[in-house]
Amino acid sequence: MAEPLLEVRNLCTYLQSGGREVRAVDDVSFSIPRGETFCLVGESGSGKSISALSVICLLPQGIASHPSGEILFNGRDLLRLDDPGIRAVRGSQIAMIFQEPMTSLNPVLTIGEQITEALQLHYPDMSDAEAEQRTIMALEQVQMPHAAGRFGDYPHQLSGGQRQRVMIAMALACEPQLLIADEPTTALDVTVQAEILRLMRKLQDDTGMSMMFITHDFGVVAQMAQWVGVMQQGKLMEVGLCAEVLRKPQHPYTRKLLSALPENMAKPLFVRPYSENATAGQAVVKTPLLQIRNLKVWFPIKKGLLRHIVDYIRAVDEVSLDIPQGQIVALVGESGCGKTTLGRAILQLEKPTAGSIQINGQELTGLSARELRPLRRKMQIAFQDPQSSLNPRLLIETTLTEPMKVHGIGSNHEERIELAALILESVQLDRDFLWRYPHEFSGGQRQRIGLARALVLNPEFIVCDEITSALDVSVQAEILQLLLSIRQQRNLTLLFITHNIGVVEYLSDQIVVMYKGKIVEQGETAQVCSHPQHLYTQKLLAAVPRLLI
Amino acid sequence: MIEHAVSQETFAARIWRKTLNGVGVKVGLAWVALLVFAAVFAPFLANSMPLLMSKEGVITAPVLQYLSVEDAWVLSAFFIVLVVYRLRIGAGKRILLVLSGAFIAAVLVNMFVKPPVLVIYDNFRTAAYTQVDWRIMPPVPYAPTDYLRDLVNKGLEAPLASEGRIHLMGTEENGADVLSRMIHACRISLSIGLIASGIALLIGVIVGGLMGYFSGTIDMLGMRLVEIFEDIPTLFLLLTFVAFFGRSLYMMMVIIGVTGWSGYARYVRQEFLKLRKQDYVQAAVASGLPLGSILFRHMLPNGVAPLLVAVSFGVAGAILSEATLSFLGLGVVDAPSWGQMLDQAVKSSSFNWWMAVFPGGAIFMTVFAYNLIGEAFRDAIDPKLSGKAGVN
Repeated sequence: MAEPLLEVRNLCTYLQSGGREVRAVDDVSFSIPRGETFCLVGESGSGKSISALSVICLLPQGIASHPSGEILFNGRDLLRLDDPGIRAVRGSQIAMIFQEPMTSLNPVLTIGEQITEALQLHYPDMSDAEAEQRTIMALEQVQMPHAAGRFGDYPHQLSGGQRQRVMIAMALACEPQLLIADEPTTALDVTVQAEILRLMRKLQDDTGMSMMFITHDFGVVAQMAQWVGVMQQGKLMEVGLCAEVLRKPQHPYTRKLLSALPENMAKPLFVRPYSENATAGQAVVKTPLLQIRNLKVWFPIKKGLLRHIVDYIRAVDEVSLDIPQGQIVALVGESGCGKTTLGRAILQLEKPTAGSIQINGQELTGLSARELRPLRRKMQIAFQDPQSSLNPRLLIETTLTEPMKVHGIGSNHEERIELAALILESVQLDRDFLWRYPHEFSGGQRQRIGLARALVLNPEFIVCDEITSALDVSVQAEILQLLLSIRQQRNLTLLFITHNIGVVEYLSDQIVVMYKGKIVEQGETAQVCSHPQHLYTQKLLAAVPRLLI
Repeated sequence: MIEHAVSQETFAARIWRKTLNGVGVKVGLAWVALLVFAAVFAPFLANSMPLLMSKEGVITAPVLQYLSVEDAWVLSAFFIVLVVYRLRIGAGKRILLVLSGAFIAAVLVNMFVKPPVLVIYDNFRTAAYTQVDWRIMPPVPYAPTDYLRDLVNKGLEAPLASEGRIHLMGTEENGADVLSRMIHACRISLSIGLIASGIALLIGVIVGGLMGYFSGTIDMLGMRLVEIFEDIPTLFLLLTFVAFFGRSLYMMMVIIGVTGWSGYARYVRQEFLKLRKQDYVQAAVASGLPLGSILFRHMLPNGVAPLLVAVSFGVAGAILSEATLSFLGLGVVDAPSWGQMLDQAVKSSSFNWWMAVFPGGAIFMTVFAYNLIGEAFRDAIDPKLSGKAGVN
């Protein structure tokens, strides 16, 4: 076997944090052959990003230390190099792209200037004209539409996918031998992700570079990697050829991660009274719990001195939707398609411009806050971000009992506390958690508390807005199972907003696909997923990286 | 991506710990604590009458007999604050308890404390008070308005220059002890800073909160109101009011407060605009919680930190305003204040350094102390700054 491009031997990276030493990377060894891709995969906090930053020596000097280990790049140990030596390697031989396309480009420089600067830094004798030529070539290489005309564009004029292309162009402008990509597609929609991944594979074929690819998504691993390493708590659990690790995982942790993927989770047996009727072939006419007719949520775009309205952003446009009692309806679509706005409009958190929303036949739009209050009990919401979904200054007890008090549930404070404790237990949390503050909990626990808060009013309908998107797969699996069991116990109706098709297939009875503010397709989940009709749905389903075992 | 250690500390405790991490803030807090102590116990620290004396076997406390209504109220309010601080209850209840306690104390004190209308300090140096078995005098045995008419003909004695008497900071032109006046002047500086800022804070939070929460039209109208109040020159308004209605400390407090809220309103508005989009606020709206709870329980405590920074700078500003006004000779007449003492220093025919240095230094130190506290607080709240300063 030829000598690998990068060989990491027994790497340890310790971080100083508030007087404590954290073993972020602990005795990690792997190697990346020339022209091949190595994927580091793991849950958040497993040390995969720190490993990547160690390789490119980007960790802050005072905080990080490497008590042991070697990083051999072309046979040279990067950890033993001095600063000028590292700089010579960084950028020209090892390049890096980051997760967040919004913040990794400088907003006040044009994309052309940024790429040219990177080029001229590494090739000081390159003339301006030549650098510009090379820049346009690089933009063409990443399949940027109208590359020559884009030279003078600022980052805010580009979409997220285009920005990520510019980042790749910048990284590749100096023709590095190794490209480190830290979750480069996590912030992108699946359809855009599929394009970027395809582009990266093509560029690898063209240039023969090696890639170190960091991700939490096994679907992406299956598409990209020849080699894969699974990390947990700073340690490398399993390393090997991608096909072998994914097909025959040796380590129990890898097996656990793979089985937690929603597409691999066993769908629970749950016989709905509905499907019985449906199989009997009877036309069951039952009024749906929620009826949405011609709903519009338009945001005005104001311009000029007098702030007159020139146009509208049609976030939700002429949407009609029925949500039947007791069903889980998944609402999918790319970011910015209006799915969150629709969810919030149903709860009257966003004022609809026109249209009607009825719950149990009762009209919701146009009600005053006072008239709406008794109806608020029936519908609740759970949010995506575990950081901001709970008030950091309030005890969990206060967060849970205050809505009960307002709606007159429970006759006194003790009774309400008892009810809150029961609800906490129903989301599989300890009742003592009532007396703690939100910052004492992990992300998964906070999402459970968020669900508990939605449940305290005993609602009929809950909007779950991407509640598992910020969670690791294993935690996501637990939350999804919890949701199904709660639904069964309480006969809840859920509108589950997500972009994760795997979750949709696992969880939902019906699927609604939104595209640019309109519903383009809806129907039984299995039906739509196997035979998508609309062009966008087909594209969406084809773009989903899947890993079935 | 390092696993965040689950912290057992509440947000407030963390901010407080970080705030106390510097040297400057400790100096500032120590100075303010000294001022509070001097302000509260001024009659016991600097007074012409004995604290306690025994004459022919009868023990009396002339200080308590001559305690003015104001003195008594300040003392009782101080102890109410101390007691409430020791109680383990929520912040809202604390504020309510302090305010109601202070109000009740004000009523009781006005009903029951009846000091003699006329105080002739010279009397305390007559046989009635000196020919006693024993007596305990205050550390500074001169009242601020005791002009020592029985002892000296002229004032303006330099520190420690007088014979037979100890004036650590000299005397002013009427013969009164400067140190005693300095101690009593703490009250004006502290009270004007706190009360004027309190009024400004109250108006600012309410207006800013409503602007931030409702946004839209209310926000637009509110911002115009803010701009109008920002355009009012406080000092000239104060001068006008003094010219029309005479001098009054309370009027000064109200005017400084009423014109000073616009900055706070901007802070609160900005925070509320941000907080309104937070999921927990949305969840509170979705649960149908009443507006008061959403504004004051779910939003204000999370947006109050930058406000407190502004307040500590605001207190310093209010103290300076009062000093400026007193310096211009338009301050309070009957009680000494630092600004008025500076005015005296300037107006006297010869330059007497002790008349300028001590009150000037006190104003400087106080403003400096509040700025130090405000700065430390701001650094503690801003995670970027606290990282830069090497504070963890």
